[in-house]
Amino acid sequence: MTPDEPAVIEPPRVHRLPDEAYTRMTLVLRLGLGISLAVLLGGLVAYVLAYPGTSSQSVLAHNPILSYLSLSGLGAGLAAGSIGAVLTLGLIVLVATPIVRVVSGLYYFRKVGERAMTAITFTVLVLLLLGLLVIGPHIR
Amino acid sequence: MDLVLFVVLLILVAIAAGLVGSLTGLGGGVVVIPLLIIFFGASVPIAIGTGFVTILATSSATGAAYVRDRLSDIRIGMFLEIATVPGALVGATVTVFLTHANLESALLIALGVVLFAIIPGSLARRHIELPAPQPQDARSKMLGLTGEYHDEVLDQDVAYRAARTTPALGVMLGAGAVSGMFGIGGGVFKVLALERFLNLPMKVSTATSNFMIGVTAAAGAGVMLAAGYVNPILAAPVAVGTASGAFLGSRLLPGLRNRTVRLLFLPVIAALAIEMVLRGFGLP
Repeated sequence: MTPDEPAVIEPPRVHRLPDEAYTRMTLVLRLGLGISLAVLLGGLVAYVLAYPGTSSQSVLAHNPILSYLSLSGLGAGLAAGSIGAVLTLGLIVLVATPIVRVVSGLYYFRKVGERAMTAITFTVLVLLLLGLLVIGPHIR
Repeated sequence: MDLVLFVVLLILVAIAAGLVGSLTGLGGGVVVIPLLIIFFGASVPIAIGTGFVTILATSSATGAAYVRDRLSDIRIGMFLEIATVPGALVGATVTVFLTHANLESALLIALGVVLFAIIPGSLARRHIELPAPQPQDARSKMLGLTGEYHDEVLDQDVAYRAARTTPALGVMLGAGAVSGMFGIGGGVFKVLALERFLNLPMKVSTATSNFMIGVTAAAGAGVMLAAGYVNPILAAPVAVGTASGAFLGSRLLPGLRNRTVRLLFLPVIAALAIEMVLRGFGLP
């Protein structure tokens, strides 16, 4: 074989998760996006109806999310019917959707007994939670 | 500006951004972030935080179809997330620290430069449907980074294997950092690594990049949300508009997803990038 000749490569052995994994992940994406958009749209309409005279400058100057970033703050806000808390919940669902997808990947890699991919997926999940629960609040 | 007008304009801009972003493959963030800063008066970190919202909405709106069609390679995507997620965490943390240090103008200039960097990258894509096969490296063999999909256009089953995983991980770390720092998907860099280093077919690269963009954005968004740099009144209309635009783009106008649309759209990004840099230097 001369250096110009391409190496003979055997056809790849295909690795694939079970079809159920793809179906579930599609469902996770659709559900997560649907729920978050419904909550965000509902909250937005309620906000516009409740505060019609608010200016855009006021919206930009006052970020309501700061009151609802703890579990207790969000719970109290939702219980009190706060629109800011509802919108924050919609955003949390939006951010959580890809994270839930990683969780479902972890479940299926573990189910088919792939230790290396399970470890990798678990590490990705830990890093995602680290950003949301530790790094973000710590640097606020 | 009146609240109703503000919300309606945000939704319209976001629909346009989602539509154009999905047609060009550049994502909505590259349009939404500069417009939020220039026309809506948002601060740089809040615009970046909102950028993550556009990525998450676009990625979830279009990603479901890719996963359903088995084009998205979850195994390869997850393997590369081991690099993009820490990159995004570092990038978002740097953005928050720059904001705390009153260095928003430096962030603005860097954002303008990154927008410029995307332009040649988006034009340089190879558009080779099926790359010539290359040997799998040891890591790719160990993790079984191979796959197969049915190509509707070519009407054949296409099998592929990932090559050169080490440089791909390096590029993905950088792509994650850029995404985390500026709230953009960084799909251009991800597709580049998937096509050129891992040697994946174009359709698999695009779909896997979309899968990865969502997870990478969740890392950056998690930091920015928890640090208080997402304004829900701003983010809600942007999320609704971007998801609608991306959905429209992926369903109604697939025939327009070509080089011409990119060439029409890229001057707009260039103009926005120039404006960002000028503002960063305090010039009118």
